[in-house]
Amino acid sequence: MAGYLALAVILVPWLGALAVWWAGDERRLAQHALAIVFALVTAVLSLMLLPVVSAQVVLSLSAGASFGTFTFVLDGLGVFLAIIAATIGTLAVIFSVDYMAGEAQLGRYYSLILLFIGAMIGLVLTGSLLLLFFFWEITAFCSYALISFHNDDPKAVSGGIRALIVTQVGGVGLLAGALAIYSVLGSFQIGGFLDQAEALPPGMLRWMAFGFLLAAAAKSAQVPFHTWLPDAMEAPTPVTALIHAATMVNAGVYLLARFYPAFAPVGGWKVAVVTVGVVSAVLAAVMGLVAVDIKRVLAYSTISQLGYMVYAIGVGGVFASQFHLMSHAVYKALLFLGAGAVAHIIGTRDMRQMGGLGREMPFVRAVFLVGALALAGLPVLNGFWSKELVLEAGLGGGPLWAYIAMLLCAGLTALYTFRMVWMVFYGTRRSEGAVHDAPLAMRLSLVVLALGTLTSWVSAGPFGQMLARSLPFHTLDVASTGQIVLTVLMAWPTWLALAIVALGLSAWWWRERLAKFTSRLRFLARAAAGDFGFAWLDEAIVRTAQGTAEKLSLTQTGQLNWNVLGVVAGLVVVLVFLIWRA
Amino acid sequence: MQIPAAIWLVAIPLLATPVVYLAGHIGRAAAADLSGQVTARWGALIALAVAFFPFAQATHELAIYGPSTFAVGLINLRADGLTLLMAGLVLALGIAVILSGEPTMAQDADEVKFYALLLIMIGTTIGLVSAGDLFNLWLWFETMSISSYLLVAFYRDQPTTLEAGVKYLVQSSAGSVLVLLGVALVLAQTGTLDLAQIQATATASPGLLAAGALFLVGFGVKAALVPLHTWLPDAYTQAPSGVSAILSGVVTEAGLIGMLRALSMLAGTRLSWGMLLIAFGALNMLVGNFLALRQRQVKRLLAYSSLTHIGYMLLGLGIGIYAGQLTAAQGGFFHLITHGLMKGLAFLAAGALLQALRAADSERSPLTITDLNGAARRYPMVALVLSIALLGLGGLPPLAGFMSEWQIFTGGFLTRNAVIEGLVVFAGTMSVMSMAYYVPLVNAIYRQETSEAVRAGTSLPAVTLLPLLLLALAVIAIGIWPRLVEWLTAPAGAALVAALKG
Repeated sequence: MAGYLALAVILVPWLGALAVWWAGDERRLAQHALAIVFALVTAVLSLMLLPVVSAQVVLSLSAGASFGTFTFVLDGLGVFLAIIAATIGTLAVIFSVDYMAGEAQLGRYYSLILLFIGAMIGLVLTGSLLLLFFFWEITAFCSYALISFHNDDPKAVSGGIRALIVTQVGGVGLLAGALAIYSVLGSFQIGGFLDQAEALPPGMLRWMAFGFLLAAAAKSAQVPFHTWLPDAMEAPTPVTALIHAATMVNAGVYLLARFYPAFAPVGGWKVAVVTVGVVSAVLAAVMGLVAVDIKRVLAYSTISQLGYMVYAIGVGGVFASQFHLMSHAVYKALLFLGAGAVAHIIGTRDMRQMGGLGREMPFVRAVFLVGALALAGLPVLNGFWSKELVLEAGLGGGPLWAYIAMLLCAGLTALYTFRMVWMVFYGTRRSEGAVHDAPLAMRLSLVVLALGTLTSWVSAGPFGQMLARSLPFHTLDVASTGQIVLTVLMAWPTWLALAIVALGLSAWWWRERLAKFTSRLRFLARAAAGDFGFAWLDEAIVRTAQGTAEKLSLTQTGQLNWNVLGVVAGLVVVLVFLIWRA
Repeated sequence: MQIPAAIWLVAIPLLATPVVYLAGHIGRAAAADLSGQVTARWGALIALAVAFFPFAQATHELAIYGPSTFAVGLINLRADGLTLLMAGLVLALGIAVILSGEPTMAQDADEVKFYALLLIMIGTTIGLVSAGDLFNLWLWFETMSISSYLLVAFYRDQPTTLEAGVKYLVQSSAGSVLVLLGVALVLAQTGTLDLAQIQATATASPGLLAAGALFLVGFGVKAALVPLHTWLPDAYTQAPSGVSAILSGVVTEAGLIGMLRALSMLAGTRLSWGMLLIAFGALNMLVGNFLALRQRQVKRLLAYSSLTHIGYMLLGLGIGIYAGQLTAAQGGFFHLITHGLMKGLAFLAAGALLQALRAADSERSPLTITDLNGAARRYPMVALVLSIALLGLGGLPPLAGFMSEWQIFTGGFLTRNAVIEGLVVFAGTMSVMSMAYYVPLVNAIYRQETSEAVRAGTSLPAVTLLPLLLLALAVIAIGIWPRLVEWLTAPAGAALVAALKG
């Protein structure tokens, strides 16, 4: 029964993708309706998974030699992420009704979103490494195809290709790790691997651990692979909210959390994870401070918050990382959709042309503020509780330098958040033209997400217990929501963190008085605006590859003499090799 | 006396050839319309469909009795896993090509000849993969090559096509001479040409090693090993697209099978051959990818991508030979099938678009990527199947290419050899790199702004879509459930590893 449910929750959105495509671009209303219905059914099905959470394999299909067994497991970690994918997916689809009104090729848009939702759910529910990689690649494909949705725009096209290539390069690490596991254990089962990880040769386990870290860093846009995420902002905003904030970018964090019990004992791995998380969090926060495109600010902030989750896993706080993942998915989807509403209505994403929009868009301002306060980590919103848990896990289980860096980063987060809110909604208007508030379908999605941001932290206790109950290989330190609230409020680091956040806030408030100081930091701002040279590095690699290709194509003369020389040269090489071997 | 199924399998296409040709001409003489061409087309289709009966019978017999050998006079025919895999693929692709019916749209008067030549090429390909002795191996190889030269140069009134045909002819002949020299060397050394006998008796002598090198390079020309590949881009680009589909999907690989058959008698030195195949595989991937990267012409891009995919097959088969790794060998053959389906689909879809967009152009100027801008708006189904083919070639799940590459890579890691594992990681990276040229093509197809060519294009007959949709469905189905073709790949892998175990 549970097995069929697992299969249904993956296949229903895929059927929806077919149905929307089949409806055809001439029947726009039918396409909107079909997309919403199939997404809603998926969301309901995903919630029906909650009562059947367990560590057992619920479905297994033998795929023959060298493909292992295709299995699905409905444990807490998987079901939780499936629910996020399905519900936020539904909200993104509803938001799209207004956002995509008037756009051509709706069929392709909705089909890809539904295909993505199914693949994301498959990614988190499968118990087979082969299928994990299988779905991992499908999500990368959907992400690329949706970033490049506006195929006529060269920026969208290059952004999509970059996202695809960077995440796939990381994916090679996952591939190699999975194959190495198969070569030792003769099976692709994740449960079996976690069970027997200690028995593996340490050298091999080390390769796997770092291979998976590479894959996770690329997928979750961590330094130095982060460059694809800001460029992915060319995607339609509901896609950004769904794929590049709430779901796919979390797949890397999911991977690390899932395999933490196996890799934690590997020497140097935890430090490497912490370092990746801290560097990403801090660098991205600084870049978020100087960006002027509202979606890019949010993209950098996503990298930064993902850095917090990666850091949490590195210090052993698997529950804290997943709790922060939940909060972040909700409030960041809210912020992106809010930003999308603003950009959609005034027609630009450049914050320098916004300002003073709060008067005309009180509704959007209200919900955006809820999201922003959660991002900045102010009580009692969901981002506050989860960030405090992450920081406390860091103080307890990680190096002190990392904790201090993350603490300061919380101040930076508050600073860039308030800069963004101010530039968009307050101050004087810098644009002309009539501005109206968000239309109905947009409001519906925004309200649900805002309510989620206000309340999702209440589920912390049951969520932790669900994880502890169904993850046999993890040792999780969980408590009830009440206990969590008490511990957070009684702990001195909470107040220290709040003080830092307040400092960040006041830095924005007194920005004019600090002008003398900030002008000394110009060089840093310039470096941050240039992505600290990482984007240049990417482009250099692409240029080299293309240059090599051009040069190599010169060797294809098309002249028969040279061609036959190639044949003769081949023979000579083979003969020389054979003589050398003999 | 009952004639074995394996002989029927070779005989049916060859026997049908003169019938189809004559019937087509008589039909054309009797009625001055297209009926002669229709007759030829249906005749060829029926012949290939009928050939599936002995194919099914032979598959059944193989599963029960194992590999077997039959003699027809002096000709030895061998039916094992390799034979049936190639026979099944070439028959399926042949039917797809005939159904897509490209020459009909080109209004080409030589259509009767096209079908007759196609049947010969299919029959001789099956003959090549079932040859049981060295001389017949060479003979089938030559006849297959000759029929394919004529098909490559099918549009013979165009200078570029003739140039491509001549290059193909000269280079393949050079390869063929090397093979013949190798055959002579083997005969001089062992006094026999029977593959099984040589394998049982021969020891690794310098003469036999030299013969092996000649086989490797001689067949390697046909199999497009870098740097022997230079005929390939021109031939694939200039041939009718249906012919490109069969050339890239089967004929090139038949060269590979011929090479494996010839090398299998030198089992004692399999380590060297395995290493050489792996090295050529790595070179093919690298060079193929770089040459495709900046390519603006669609068919040329697909041609270069074939180099890369031959590289994956060489990697899998090479690991299979080098380490006796059954999974890798099976993966190599699995990739042979999936590549045949995907590349066949890509060429047929590109061919359909070429016909539609170049209908008014008597020069048949090549199709560029920019010509395809916005093609999805006018030809949604062709655009969809072409995208499926391209993404499948790039190794994306849930498409067939992913699963076959996965099996090759698994086989590589199962050897627990650090160098081979490194090469597998390299191959994975190459697969990522290949996305950099498949994906912009897909992007162009789905643009809003349509190109001049698309706006001026003619509509496509619905029947053209049928084989494309069937191939696309196969690509998706195998990508989701790789077991579907295990019955073909497992015996083929076993046959290779057994032949080279020594």
